[in-house]
Amino acid sequence: MCRSKAWLLALLLGAASVQAAAPQPVVVLTSYPEEMMTRFEEAFERANPGYRLQILWRQGFDALPYLRQADQGGVDVYWAPSPGNFKRLARDAGWQPLGVDLDGLPPRIGAIALRDRAARYQATELAGYGFAINPVELAKLNMPAPRDWPDLLDARLRGRIALPDPARVGFAPVLLDIVLQAYGWDKGWALWSELAGQSRLVSRGGTLVSDEVASGRSAVGVSIDFFVASAVSNGEAVEFIYPAHGGLNPAHIAIPRQARQVEGARAFVRFVLSSEGQRLLADPDIRKLPVRPSVYADLPAGYHDPFAAARQGAYAYTDDRSRERLALITSLFEQWLGQPHERLGALWARVHAGEAQGRDLTAVREFLSVPPIDEEQAMSAPLLALFAQRQDQGMQRQSASDQDALGREEIAWQFHSARQQAQAERLLAAMGL
Amino acid sequence: MKRYGLWLLLGMLVSLPASAEHAAVNREAFAQPLPGLDDDLQRERFFHGRSLFRQAWVVAPSRDEAVDGLGPLYNRISCIACHPKNGRGQAPASDHEPLRTLLVRLSRPGRDAHGGPLPHPAYGDQLNESAIPGVAGEGRAHVRWQEQFVTLADGERIGLRSPRLSFSELNYGPLDNVHTSMRVGSPVFGLGLLEAIEASTLQALADAPKPDGVKGRVNQVWSVERQRLEAGRFGLKSNQPDLRQQIASALHGDLGITSPLYPEQNCTSMQQDCRQAVSGGAPELDALQLGDLHFYLAHLAPPPRRGLDNPEVQRGERLFNEAGCAQCHRPRLTTGQHPLYPLLSARQIEPYSDLLLHDMGPGLADGRDDYLASGREWRTAPLWGLGLIERINPGAGYLHDGRARTLEEAVLWHGGEAQVARERFKALVADDRRALRAFLQSL
Repeated sequence: MCRSKAWLLALLLGAASVQAAAPQPVVVLTSYPEEMMTRFEEAFERANPGYRLQILWRQGFDALPYLRQADQGGVDVYWAPSPGNFKRLARDAGWQPLGVDLDGLPPRIGAIALRDRAARYQATELAGYGFAINPVELAKLNMPAPRDWPDLLDARLRGRIALPDPARVGFAPVLLDIVLQAYGWDKGWALWSELAGQSRLVSRGGTLVSDEVASGRSAVGVSIDFFVASAVSNGEAVEFIYPAHGGLNPAHIAIPRQARQVEGARAFVRFVLSSEGQRLLADPDIRKLPVRPSVYADLPAGYHDPFAAARQGAYAYTDDRSRERLALITSLFEQWLGQPHERLGALWARVHAGEAQGRDLTAVREFLSVPPIDEEQAMSAPLLALFAQRQDQGMQRQSASDQDALGREEIAWQFHSARQQAQAERLLAAMGL
Repeated sequence: MKRYGLWLLLGMLVSLPASAEHAAVNREAFAQPLPGLDDDLQRERFFHGRSLFRQAWVVAPSRDEAVDGLGPLYNRISCIACHPKNGRGQAPASDHEPLRTLLVRLSRPGRDAHGGPLPHPAYGDQLNESAIPGVAGEGRAHVRWQEQFVTLADGERIGLRSPRLSFSELNYGPLDNVHTSMRVGSPVFGLGLLEAIEASTLQALADAPKPDGVKGRVNQVWSVERQRLEAGRFGLKSNQPDLRQQIASALHGDLGITSPLYPEQNCTSMQQDCRQAVSGGAPELDALQLGDLHFYLAHLAPPPRRGLDNPEVQRGERLFNEAGCAQCHRPRLTTGQHPLYPLLSARQIEPYSDLLLHDMGPGLADGRDDYLASGREWRTAPLWGLGLIERINPGAGYLHDGRARTLEEAVLWHGGEAQVARERFKALVADDRRALRAFLQSL
């Protein structure tokens, strides 16, 4: 060090420590992206200088065991779009009463409850499912924007749809369920088989679907609204369509029974649910749907208002009864349609080519469209119980194993798929297609 | 370079696309892949690297094994937290605000075994304000601003704020006799192109005679992978030899993530809880993940220039050159052969930097030696993308610690080798300063 550097001494002295009253930490467990949490962290700490957020990040499947630890991981607030976790922890008596004023927050939207009956957890925001579209690419295909799921089967969209793989993309299982509820088990699965057969399966969700569509590689992507809305507000050339048969995924907030900083936790919950917190959801990098209807009047023009849409009959989709079967239908998709995706795509292409020649391919369609189990079987309690365990363990993707009952079911579905596809292949070959 | 080598390079330049830029100027302009990255496998790798860059890391143990191992000590939980939208961070507005996208480097007088800064024995080489449950964070840093004024030749007064740093809640003993240096997160696009500039090109730039007392030199820094001193080119003092080491070092220092380059946890010998904390793997970021992060950051394109036909921008560019700014903020450089990625090789690029160290005077000095870089020296900041910062990172500050709130303030902080250029800027009339600003906004 050069001794003549007087400024250096000043810097050394300037770094002397000072003591100040330390804000109290509030530990928030979440799976929200950094950009969103940073906005809320900054705004909350500005409004509540006596508290400092400590963010712990865990995906939904990883958060459940964390919150089931003896001390619930020292977490003061759990905030995440993982409805199943909130229900399961409620069953375990893992939450304490929220203890905040919920005035102005409706208990339901459409068919979906926004809080549990005892108000131990409350929805903070909603995300809508639908279609990302690239208007330029659609114009090139000379077709209008799709308005509902069957529109995606339009011949002009073959090979131009990005479909998030339910086995790999966290938000996608609900997409399966929306269609199954809207069209019924048989018609719903027939739609999924054909749609999967003519789509690109995207192995990572969110922005990757928007990227596919914005780049023009796909003309339509099946997605969740905030990824696309954020891309739109950041200047990307994409739009989002809420289909006639849409669905909403609520995110909730709750205070664990063993929270140490209860007052701080309540301060954070109050902030998130306040008008200020709810308006933050419209930030260009967040773009989610508030649960406080009064704030929609302050949001940018064209911002989707799900409460208004629900009043007009949208959002009949309910997660109440089907939430328990998400792991089952996800596995069904993977064993039957996802793993043999390449073969499935080739078979559907042959079917479409044959139909373009005016051939009747109803029998082949049947082989490709009937799922390995019917709805009654899918509702059987023992089967649901097997898959509930997987749901409890966070829907983690596992290879099917003949060493356990669940794996044996999955292998049977794979075999069904292989047999049906072989039958379809034989029929097509016999028809010279 | 031998003559035939030069001809070969010129031949390749002719055959490659003229621009390494993309077309987007929206808020995602810093997140676009280089044109030419069209292959499906390459795009998949790019997006995988992007996921890792945006990934919030998880406290170990976790079922999310690919991304667990945060801390034990850390500043933020993801890379993107300090490089919002791949752009610039900002300094806190007052001493009541947390640092967030700003960090504080720490060192004791002296050098480590390789010639780098000597870490503080209790706190290491960077203040980690946060820690995983069961481990105490190192403490809190606070920034207070002092304002001074500079009067330009036409009488306009411009306020310049300088930071005063203090600490509280120190959990590992006093932090005395320490050099400190504050740094805000820097933009992360164009780094692969800078990596592809040959060391000989940097040396030639340093050796070339320059007017106005401008010198410039190449830092010589330790390569962890190659175990030797090499030309430095990344970091605010050019203290990292390549992008892989820059990434691994930042993950280690800012997030507490171990990697093949930094396999030990970032705990000092005096931080026992930290040393005993559960690890997320050995290492926590594996070689494949580091490779994907490198691929992503190497292929992030610089945004395109705008307003090239605007007469005011053109006049501003002339003034930029006449003031001598371009002596260090070199408009054009040519890349050599990138060791891994051909798309980055033999490109003409416009980084507006020479990547050299320059004495910037006492006003910007941090008093912290870093290999050959003295406490007054900083690497010339690349200016590409500068004009999009206000749109993409509103509120971001300029210079190493975000002290400059405007481009004018940033220019006026220049001293040392840039003193002559700064005086020429001070002498400009308001109309010329507007033109100069219009030019900078076009970058």
